[in-house]
Amino acid sequence: MTSNSTLHILNKAPEHPRYQACINALAPSDTLVLIENGVLSAAGNQLHAPCTLYALKADIDARALEAACENLNTIDYDELVQLTATHPKIISW
Amino acid sequence: MSTLIVIDQAPYGFWTGREALDMAFSLAAFDQPAAMLFTGAGVNWLRKGQRPDGVGQKSAEKNLSAAPLFGIEALIADEHACQQYGLTESTMLPGVELVSNIRDVLGDHKHVVFAG
Repeated sequence: MTSNSTLHILNKAPEHPRYQACINALAPSDTLVLIENGVLSAAGNQLHAPCTLYALKADIDARALEAACENLNTIDYDELVQLTATHPKIISW
Repeated sequence: MSTLIVIDQAPYGFWTGREALDMAFSLAAFDQPAAMLFTGAGVNWLRKGQRPDGVGQKSAEKNLSAAPLFGIEALIADEHACQQYGLTESTMLPGVELVSNIRDVLGDHKHVVFAG
């Protein structure tokens, strides 16, 4: 990633106003991680992110969204910690 | 005329949905007629195959599947919200009634309570 890459951690469902605020703030060099209810955006093809995208596996499993998320790169908690360590800036939405 | 409990928030992210479920089950356990409506992100409560071990919570799906045992009169889902979240009959709990206009459902009940 570049030195100005931001890690966006999104835990809101698409209906939440902050969900769209996050999507609008994404730059191509950023990384978006969907956690908690953020993973629901993968259901029903609602998700359009212009940057690198990951989703937390435990939250996908909890919500039975494996089929909807099969084209997403999934990560575990350890990998999430790695991402927080390798990005110079983090926004927790 | 029964009480309608409405859940419009997704499972696991908030406790309000579980509290609403407790309210519905309590009503039914004391022979007060109760039904539940799922709308917005709340329809995700109804998805089959939830495995929440990894997030340290109990299965919302399992909780909800006890609804008929407690005597909940109906589980109703907003058809539009189901489409939005890619929920179909085959990916949803059995016995859920789909409605195209939730206004009719809200009008059918004397008491309506939203979770949270």
